[in-house]
Amino acid sequence: MTKKKITIALAGNPNSGKTTVFNNLTGARQHVGNWPGVTVEKKEGSCTFKGYTINVVDLPGVYSLTAYSLDEVIARDYVVDEKPDVVVDVVDASNLERNLYLAVQLLEMEANLVIALNMMDVAESREYQIDVKELSRLLGTPVVPMVAAWGKGTPELLDTVIAVAGGYQKVSGINLQYDHDVETEIVKLEKLISDSSLAEGYSPRWLAVKLLEEDEEIIGKIRQT
Amino acid sequence: MVIKPLREVEPLERGRIVKVGGRKGIRRRLLDMGVVVGAEVEVQRVAPLGDPLEIRIKGYNLALRLEEADNIQIEIFEGKL
Repeated sequence: MTKKKITIALAGNPNSGKTTVFNNLTGARQHVGNWPGVTVEKKEGSCTFKGYTINVVDLPGVYSLTAYSLDEVIARDYVVDEKPDVVVDVVDASNLERNLYLAVQLLEMEANLVIALNMMDVAESREYQIDVKELSRLLGTPVVPMVAAWGKGTPELLDTVIAVAGGYQKVSGINLQYDHDVETEIVKLEKLISDSSLAEGYSPRWLAVKLLEEDEEIIGKIRQT
Repeated sequence: MVIKPLREVEPLERGRIVKVGGRKGIRRRLLDMGVVVGAEVEVQRVAPLGDPLEIRIKGYNLALRLEEADNIQIEIFEGKL
Protein backbone atom coordinates (compact mmCIF):
# COMPACT_ATOMS: atom_id res chain seq x y z
CA MET A 1 0.00 0.00 0.00
CA THR A 2 1.41 3.35 -0.94
CA LYS A 3 -0.44 6.22 0.56
CA LYS A 4 0.95 9.57 -0.42
CA LYS A 5 -0.88 11.39 2.35
CA ILE A 6 -0.05 10.61 5.94
CA THR A 7 -1.55 12.05 9.11
CA ILE A 8 0.53 11.91 12.25
CA ALA A 9 -0.28 13.01 15.79
CA LEU A 10 2.42 14.31 18.11
CA ALA A 11 2.02 13.19 21.69
CA GLY A 12 4.32 13.58 24.66
CA ASN A 13 4.85 14.85 28.19
CA PRO A 14 4.92 18.58 28.80
CA ASN A 15 8.48 19.88 28.22
CA SER A 16 9.54 16.88 26.17
CA GLY A 17 10.27 19.12 23.18
CA LYS A 18 7.06 18.32 21.36
CA THR A 19 6.65 21.83 20.08
CA THR A 20 10.26 21.93 18.87
CA VAL A 21 9.71 18.71 16.94
CA PHE A 22 6.47 20.15 15.57
CA ASN A 23 8.23 23.31 14.41
CA ASN A 24 11.05 21.29 12.83
CA LEU A 25 8.56 19.22 10.91
CA THR A 26 6.22 21.92 9.74
CA GLY A 27 8.28 25.11 9.65
CA ALA A 28 6.02 28.01 8.81
CA ARG A 29 3.27 25.82 7.41
CA GLN A 30 1.22 25.91 10.59
CA HIS A 31 -2.35 26.55 11.37
CA VAL A 32 -3.64 27.28 14.86
CA GLY A 33 -7.25 26.63 15.75
CA ASN A 34 -9.25 25.12 18.55
CA TRP A 35 -10.31 21.60 19.35
CA PRO A 36 -14.05 21.46 18.63
CA GLY A 37 -16.14 22.67 21.54
CA VAL A 38 -13.30 23.52 23.89
CA THR A 39 -10.81 26.33 24.19
CA VAL A 40 -7.73 24.19 23.97
CA GLU A 41 -5.44 25.25 21.19
CA LYS A 42 -5.12 22.86 18.28
CA LYS A 43 -2.05 23.23 16.13
CA GLU A 44 -1.82 21.61 12.74
CA GLY A 45 0.82 21.81 10.09
CA SER A 46 2.15 19.89 7.16
CA CYS A 47 5.31 19.05 5.35
CA THR A 48 6.33 17.22 2.23
CA PHE A 49 9.04 14.62 2.36
CA LYS A 50 10.13 12.19 -0.35
CA GLY A 51 6.91 12.68 -2.24
CA TYR A 52 4.65 12.30 0.79
CA THR A 53 2.42 14.98 2.21
CA ILE A 54 2.52 14.62 5.96
CA ASN A 55 -0.13 16.33 8.02
CA VAL A 56 1.00 16.89 11.61
CA VAL A 57 -1.41 17.40 14.52
CA ASP A 58 0.07 18.60 17.81
CA LEU A 59 -1.73 17.03 20.77
CA PRO A 60 -1.78 18.66 24.22
CA GLY A 61 1.20 17.72 26.40
CA VAL A 62 0.11 15.11 28.94
CA TYR A 63 1.64 12.69 31.42
CA SER A 64 -1.06 10.12 31.02
CA LEU A 65 -4.22 9.31 29.09
CA THR A 66 -6.79 9.05 31.84
CA ALA A 67 -9.95 11.13 31.80
CA TYR A 68 -8.97 13.53 34.58
CA SER A 69 -8.17 16.60 32.55
CA LEU A 70 -9.51 18.04 29.36
CA ASP A 71 -6.06 17.86 27.77
CA GLU A 72 -5.86 14.15 28.40
CA VAL A 73 -9.33 13.50 27.05
CA ILE A 74 -8.57 15.48 23.89
CA ALA A 75 -5.30 13.65 23.28
CA ARG A 76 -6.89 10.30 23.90
CA ASP A 77 -10.02 10.89 21.83
CA TYR A 78 -7.92 12.04 18.92
CA VAL A 79 -5.83 8.87 18.95
CA VAL A 80 -8.84 6.60 19.44
CA ASP A 81 -11.43 8.28 17.22
CA GLU A 82 -9.43 9.92 14.46
CA LYS A 83 -6.95 7.08 14.16
CA PRO A 84 -3.96 8.97 12.79
CA ASP A 85 -1.73 6.82 10.56
CA VAL A 86 1.10 7.18 13.05
CA VAL A 87 1.34 8.53 16.59
CA VAL A 88 4.74 10.03 17.36
CA ASP A 89 5.44 10.09 21.08
CA VAL A 90 8.13 12.65 21.88
CA VAL A 91 10.04 11.23 24.83
CA ASP A 92 12.56 13.16 26.94
CA ALA A 93 15.58 10.85 26.98
CA SER A 94 16.86 12.52 30.14
CA ASN A 95 13.66 11.60 31.95
CA LEU A 96 12.96 8.23 30.44
CA GLU A 97 11.09 6.45 33.19
CA ARG A 98 8.37 9.03 33.64
CA ASN A 99 8.02 9.59 29.90
CA LEU A 100 7.67 5.92 29.04
CA TYR A 101 4.49 5.69 31.09
CA LEU A 102 2.66 7.58 28.36
CA ALA A 103 4.37 5.50 25.67
CA VAL A 104 3.12 2.31 27.29
CA GLN A 105 -0.41 3.69 27.46
CA LEU A 106 -0.29 4.56 23.76
CA LEU A 107 0.92 1.04 22.99
CA GLU A 108 -1.88 -0.35 25.12
CA MET A 109 -4.31 1.59 22.91
CA GLU A 110 -2.71 -0.22 19.97
CA ALA A 111 -1.67 3.04 18.38
CA ASN A 112 0.76 2.85 15.48
CA LEU A 113 3.52 4.29 17.61
CA VAL A 114 6.92 5.74 16.80
CA ILE A 115 9.03 7.01 19.66
CA ALA A 116 11.01 10.20 19.07
CA LEU A 117 13.69 9.87 21.72
CA ASN A 118 14.42 13.55 22.12
CA MET A 119 17.03 15.47 24.12
CA MET A 120 19.67 12.84 23.60
CA ASP A 121 22.26 15.56 24.22
CA VAL A 122 20.90 16.24 27.71
CA ALA A 123 20.83 12.51 28.45
CA GLU A 124 24.43 12.21 27.30
CA SER A 125 25.55 15.19 29.36
CA ARG A 126 24.13 13.36 32.38
CA GLU A 127 26.09 10.32 31.27
CA TYR A 128 23.01 8.24 30.65
CA GLN A 129 23.67 5.49 28.17
CA ILE A 130 20.53 4.47 26.34
CA ASP A 131 20.55 1.30 24.27
CA VAL A 132 18.16 2.52 21.59
CA LYS A 133 17.97 -0.84 19.79
CA GLU A 134 17.14 -2.69 22.97
CA LEU A 135 14.55 -0.08 23.96
CA SER A 136 12.94 -0.50 20.56
CA ARG A 137 12.93 -4.28 20.94
CA LEU A 138 11.45 -4.16 24.45
CA LEU A 139 8.68 -1.78 23.46
CA GLY A 140 8.02 -3.40 20.08
CA THR A 141 8.06 -0.04 18.37
CA PRO A 142 10.58 2.02 16.37
CA VAL A 143 12.70 4.44 18.41
CA VAL A 144 14.39 7.39 16.72
CA PRO A 145 17.06 9.26 18.72
CA MET A 146 16.86 13.02 18.26
CA VAL A 147 18.13 16.37 19.38
CA ALA A 148 15.22 18.46 18.13
CA ALA A 149 16.77 21.69 19.40
CA TRP A 150 19.57 21.22 16.85
CA GLY A 151 17.29 19.75 14.20
CA LYS A 152 19.03 16.40 14.59
CA GLY A 153 17.02 13.29 13.77
CA THR A 154 14.18 14.93 11.85
CA PRO A 155 14.80 13.16 8.48
CA GLU A 156 15.22 9.83 10.30
CA LEU A 157 11.93 10.42 12.12
CA LEU A 158 10.15 11.15 8.83
CA ASP A 159 11.66 8.05 7.21
CA THR A 160 10.41 5.95 10.10
CA VAL A 161 6.96 7.54 10.01
CA ILE A 162 6.66 6.76 6.30
CA ALA A 163 7.86 3.19 6.82
CA VAL A 164 5.34 2.61 9.62
CA ALA A 165 2.45 4.31 7.79
CA GLY A 166 3.16 2.22 4.70
CA GLY A 167 3.36 -0.98 6.72
CA TYR A 168 7.03 -1.57 5.84
CA GLN A 169 7.97 -1.35 9.47
CA LYS A 170 5.75 -3.08 11.98
CA VAL A 171 4.75 -1.89 15.43
CA SER A 172 4.30 -5.11 17.34
CA GLY A 173 3.74 -3.39 20.67
CA ILE A 174 4.08 -5.02 24.04
CA ASN A 175 1.99 -7.56 25.80
CA LEU A 176 1.92 -5.90 29.17
CA GLN A 177 0.93 -8.33 31.90
CA TYR A 178 -0.63 -7.07 35.11
CA ASP A 179 -0.56 -9.17 38.24
CA HIS A 180 -2.66 -12.29 38.39
CA ASP A 181 -5.87 -10.90 39.96
CA VAL A 182 -6.05 -7.92 37.62
CA GLU A 183 -5.16 -10.02 34.61
CA THR A 184 -7.97 -12.49 35.35
CA GLU A 185 -10.52 -9.67 35.35
CA ILE A 186 -9.06 -8.10 32.21
CA VAL A 187 -9.35 -11.37 30.33
CA LYS A 188 -12.96 -11.83 31.46
CA LEU A 189 -13.97 -8.32 30.44
CA GLU A 190 -12.02 -8.54 27.22
CA LYS A 191 -14.00 -11.58 26.20
CA LEU A 192 -17.34 -9.93 27.04
CA ILE A 193 -16.33 -6.86 25.05
CA SER A 194 -15.11 -8.84 22.03
CA ASP A 195 -18.37 -10.79 21.93
CA SER A 196 -20.44 -7.62 21.93
CA SER A 197 -20.59 -4.73 19.50
CA LEU A 198 -18.69 -2.49 21.95
CA ALA A 199 -15.35 -3.33 20.49
CA GLU A 200 -15.97 -1.41 17.28
CA GLY A 201 -12.95 0.75 16.65
CA TYR A 202 -11.49 0.14 20.09
CA SER A 203 -9.02 -2.37 21.39
CA PRO A 204 -11.04 -4.73 23.65
CA ARG A 205 -8.12 -5.11 26.01
CA TRP A 206 -7.70 -1.36 26.34
CA LEU A 207 -11.42 -0.94 27.05
CA ALA A 208 -11.19 -3.67 29.69
CA VAL A 209 -8.27 -1.91 31.40
CA LYS A 210 -10.11 1.43 31.35
CA LEU A 211 -13.25 -0.14 32.81
CA LEU A 212 -11.22 -1.59 35.67
CA GLU A 213 -9.70 1.85 36.24
CA GLU A 214 -13.30 3.12 36.56
CA ASP A 215 -12.62 5.62 33.82
CA GLU A 216 -15.80 7.68 33.79
CA GLU A 217 -15.54 8.73 30.17
CA ILE A 218 -15.27 5.18 28.92
CA ILE A 219 -18.02 3.97 31.25
CA GLY A 220 -20.21 6.76 29.84
CA LYS A 221 -19.44 5.77 26.27
CA ILE A 222 -20.24 2.14 26.95
CA ARG A 223 -23.52 3.07 28.64
CA GLN A 224 -24.52 4.90 25.48
CA THR A 225 -24.09 1.87 23.28
CA MET B 1 11.70 1.96 60.80
CA VAL B 2 10.54 5.57 60.61
CA ILE B 3 7.52 6.41 58.49
CA LYS B 4 6.43 10.02 58.18
CA PRO B 5 4.61 12.28 55.74
CA LEU B 6 6.75 13.80 53.01
CA ARG B 7 6.10 17.28 54.41
CA GLU B 8 8.15 16.36 57.49
CA VAL B 9 11.08 14.90 55.57
CA GLU B 10 14.17 17.11 55.86
CA PRO B 11 16.31 18.18 52.89
CA LEU B 12 18.77 15.46 51.87
CA GLU B 13 16.88 12.81 53.81
CA ARG B 14 15.99 9.90 51.58
CA GLY B 15 13.36 7.25 51.71
CA ARG B 16 10.86 5.10 49.90
CA ILE B 17 7.22 5.90 49.28
CA VAL B 18 4.90 3.59 51.17
CA LYS B 19 1.59 5.35 50.56
CA VAL B 20 0.16 7.91 48.16
CA GLY B 21 -3.13 9.46 49.22
CA GLY B 22 -5.04 12.63 48.47
CA ARG B 23 -8.03 13.70 46.45
CA LYS B 24 -8.79 11.48 43.51
CA GLY B 25 -7.58 13.82 40.79
CA ILE B 26 -4.47 14.94 42.65
CA ARG B 27 -3.57 11.39 43.57
CA ARG B 28 -3.98 10.26 39.98
CA ARG B 29 -1.75 13.04 38.70
CA LEU B 30 0.92 12.16 41.25
CA LEU B 31 0.79 8.51 40.19
CA ASP B 32 1.00 9.55 36.53
CA MET B 33 4.17 11.48 37.29
CA GLY B 34 5.86 8.52 38.93
CA VAL B 35 5.04 9.26 42.57
CA VAL B 36 4.18 5.65 43.26
CA VAL B 37 4.60 3.21 46.14
CA GLY B 38 8.12 1.82 46.13
CA ALA B 39 9.73 4.82 44.40
CA GLU B 40 12.75 6.35 46.11
CA VAL B 41 12.66 10.03 46.93
CA GLU B 42 15.10 12.56 48.24
CA VAL B 43 13.97 15.96 49.43
CA GLN B 44 16.16 18.47 47.59
CA ARG B 45 15.16 21.75 49.16
CA VAL B 46 12.29 23.66 50.65
CA ALA B 47 11.12 27.12 49.62
CA PRO B 48 11.82 29.95 52.08
CA LEU B 49 8.30 29.96 53.44
CA GLY B 50 8.24 26.18 53.64
CA ASP B 51 5.97 25.64 50.67
CA PRO B 52 6.52 24.20 48.07
CA LEU B 53 9.22 21.60 48.48
CA GLU B 54 11.28 19.98 45.78
CA ILE B 55 11.93 16.27 45.61
CA ARG B 56 14.03 14.11 43.36
CA ILE B 57 12.18 11.06 42.08
CA LYS B 58 12.83 8.65 39.22
CA GLY B 59 15.70 10.78 37.97
CA TYR B 60 13.94 14.13 37.84
CA ASN B 61 12.99 16.95 40.17
CA LEU B 62 9.41 17.65 41.13
CA ALA B 63 8.01 20.50 43.20
CA LEU B 64 5.06 19.69 45.42
CA ARG B 65 2.74 21.78 47.55
CA LEU B 66 2.78 20.87 51.24
CA GLU B 67 -0.87 19.98 50.85
CA GLU B 68 0.12 17.27 48.39
CA ALA B 69 3.21 16.27 50.37
CA ASP B 70 0.96 15.66 53.38
CA ASN B 71 -0.64 12.71 51.66
CA ILE B 72 2.57 10.95 50.74
CA GLN B 73 4.06 8.66 53.39
CA ILE B 74 7.78 7.96 53.35
CA GLU B 75 9.79 5.23 54.98
CA ILE B 76 13.08 6.95 55.82
CA PHE B 77 16.36 5.23 54.97
CA GLU B 78 18.77 4.94 57.86
CA GLY B 79 21.78 7.24 57.75
CA LYS B 80 22.06 10.37 55.69
CA LEU B 81 24.06 10.43 52.49
